[in-house]
Amino acid sequence: MSAVLGSERPQVVSHVQQALSYTVFDCKWVPRSARLMCLGSAARGTGVIQLYELRGARLEVLREIEKPKPIKCGTFGATSLQQRYLATGDFDGNLNIWNLEAPEIPVYSVKGHKEIINSIDGVGGLGIGEGAPEIVTGSRDGTVKVWDPRQNDTPVANMEPVQGESKRDCWTVAFGNAYNQEERVVCAGYDNGDIKLFDLKTMSLRWETNIKNGVCSVEFDRKDINMNKLVATSLEGKFHVFDMRTQHPAKGFASVSEKAQKSTIWQVRHLPQNRDIFMTSGGSGSLHLWKYEYPAQRSKKDSEGSEMGVAGSLSLLQNVTLSTQPISSLDWSADKKGLCVCGAFDQTVRVLIVTKLNKI
Amino acid sequence: MPLWLREHSWRQTLTAVYLSLPLRGARATAANIFCSEQYLKVSVPPFLFEAVLYAPIDDTNSTAKIGNGNIFFTLYKKEPAMWDSLTLANADKEKLQHLRENAVLKAQEKAKEETKAKKITKQEHKKYALMATMKVEEAERKRIEDLKEKEREKVTKELELWKNQQKDGDKYKSIQTKEELHQEIESLKERKNEKMNKTRIPNEGSSKTRLKSTRGHGSCSIFSQDLKEEQLPAPRAAATIKVNFTPRVFPTALRESRVAEEEEWLYKQAEARRIINSDLSELEDLKEEEKNPDWLKDKGNKMFAMGDYLGAVNAYNLAVRLNNKLPVLYLNRAACHLKLRNLHKAIEDSSKALELLTPPVPDNENARVKAHVRRGTAFCQLELYTEGLQDYEAALKIDPKNKIIEKDAEKIRQLIQGAMQSS
Repeated sequence: MSAVLGSERPQVVSHVQQALSYTVFDCKWVPRSARLMCLGSAARGTGVIQLYELRGARLEVLREIEKPKPIKCGTFGATSLQQRYLATGDFDGNLNIWNLEAPEIPVYSVKGHKEIINSIDGVGGLGIGEGAPEIVTGSRDGTVKVWDPRQNDTPVANMEPVQGESKRDCWTVAFGNAYNQEERVVCAGYDNGDIKLFDLKTMSLRWETNIKNGVCSVEFDRKDINMNKLVATSLEGKFHVFDMRTQHPAKGFASVSEKAQKSTIWQVRHLPQNRDIFMTSGGSGSLHLWKYEYPAQRSKKDSEGSEMGVAGSLSLLQNVTLSTQPISSLDWSADKKGLCVCGAFDQTVRVLIVTKLNKI
Repeated sequence: MPLWLREHSWRQTLTAVYLSLPLRGARATAANIFCSEQYLKVSVPPFLFEAVLYAPIDDTNSTAKIGNGNIFFTLYKKEPAMWDSLTLANADKEKLQHLRENAVLKAQEKAKEETKAKKITKQEHKKYALMATMKVEEAERKRIEDLKEKEREKVTKELELWKNQQKDGDKYKSIQTKEELHQEIESLKERKNEKMNKTRIPNEGSSKTRLKSTRGHGSCSIFSQDLKEEQLPAPRAAATIKVNFTPRVFPTALRESRVAEEEEWLYKQAEARRIINSDLSELEDLKEEEKNPDWLKDKGNKMFAMGDYLGAVNAYNLAVRLNNKLPVLYLNRAACHLKLRNLHKAIEDSSKALELLTPPVPDNENARVKAHVRRGTAFCQLELYTEGLQDYEAALKIDPKNKIIEKDAEKIRQLIQGAMQSS
């Protein structure tokens, strides 16, 4: 923690810490509540879903569900507020959607991939945005697949390697640009440093680039607006912020990059209440809170007259080290500003509160 | 010889003796005065004043005032008694010396004790300072902890408040929805009654119209549902996008810091493969053992021993093609070339061998000596005696005890001198 508490910088206060008996891979707030989900892998090789409620200074276990395969990731992004079904991806490549009131049988289940599903994202639910609810999964088998819960067995979009090409692991996926019913974009990051942007309306590759280090996490600042900013974090402690408003035909999107830590940056998450603030979590167990400042002019013309984006600048608001192990998952609460949960590989889940975010 | 100062004057009280000593122009400092319990000495070169006192005094409290060409002593007596005289009258030399020595010793001891005492006080002061700083730091830390605690409490309270709000909100919402449901059910009931009335009256109506009316009203209840579903577009038409990846040989993730290492590894692999594959077509005819550079080297050595120099050269050539990093092959080939009088080739091969033997360590001394000698011989046979001598001297440097090399080096030197003389 920073020693200078008297200043106006946001402080990261550790509210609750809970030791778990399994490895936690993902933790998510249940929308519209003070409850959170932890997903992971127990020592005996089975998957665990735990539902906690924040009560006073403690986390109380409400439910504990065991599944045959370890679970790697989950999202509430594609369900309605009334249903609040959890979509999970597991180590075997299965995508399941669970009703937490009746978790024995999944509401939707498909063996989407041949290998572990590394990352999952959902859009169209929770009253955010418009369009069909969809779930995208990225897997070690090199494919990215988009699923509609109303359609069984086959994905509605499949981004797979060309025949004969050797595959690269897809490590992260994110939805974006879902500002009306037709538009939608999927961004995928791979272990060889590739970032690819797929446009689902035209079913084509809209942009790709390589950031020279394996991409651990990508996120748009908001899923349901015209795509504004994309943050991609990678190995070797670097992350890039792309300005997605202006695409140059040859140079793509403008970006600013920062080398924050010596170790891998595992996750990036934008504050739901302020899209210019985001938190990155690192392999050394530290969290960095960043603010992006827009440049005076977001786009300019280059020598041939085509529009080129201008990237802004980043400032570090706060940084705190919570653990000695990587913090692999992070989630802000959409209901209370500054409340977030993070799960680390030291088998603990921590609820943190970031103060003074109103003053930024 | 010091000048004795005799013109002192003194007076006494019961407890103290006041001694006044004129200095006659000389300047005195505290270092010139030496005082112990019973002995007083003032030595300002060239003057000397010495007094063995009548009775012991308290030398720590006594004072000496230096000024006005005068030293004024205030000596406090240990025992309050009147002295007959300032000094002991019948003091003989030995006694005096004894006393002097004692005095000096005593003074030394006192000095030692003083230094010890000083040390102890110093240590105590240090400890005290340390404790003080520790306290201050503790206080600071505590202050920060308190601030943090306060923040935490504040934030926890806010959270609780928010949670309660949530719960109330939920309750309120659930009550509302219940009410709404109630209303809906009632309105549905009404509509049903209406429908029934309407359908009952035109009983003779055609089936179509009845159906129409029922359908019209029946769809009222599912109308709301349809609306909701229509708000969600149909699932997307399935499609595939083909993806190309930035090529990468290694299955591991790309890291910038490892790129250099990876490049080097790939380069080495490529080279090795090239060497193996380049002569593949020709080498297919050879037997397995003939592809082994070591076996070929042995074969070459045997042929050299037997005098088949051309055959040896061939064997070495093939070995070099397979593995061009073995210095011994070049060395031996140089020897063959020497015998064949291919002097330039001999020089080339010895040079290549020396290159490969670059880290000059004791292990490859022999090889380097051989290389130098062979190259030297080749130079001499080409009549480049100076270069030859250089190589021989290099060989001698590595192995100074070798008589043959020494003799040959001498010969070359003489040859050079002879050549210089004649030219």
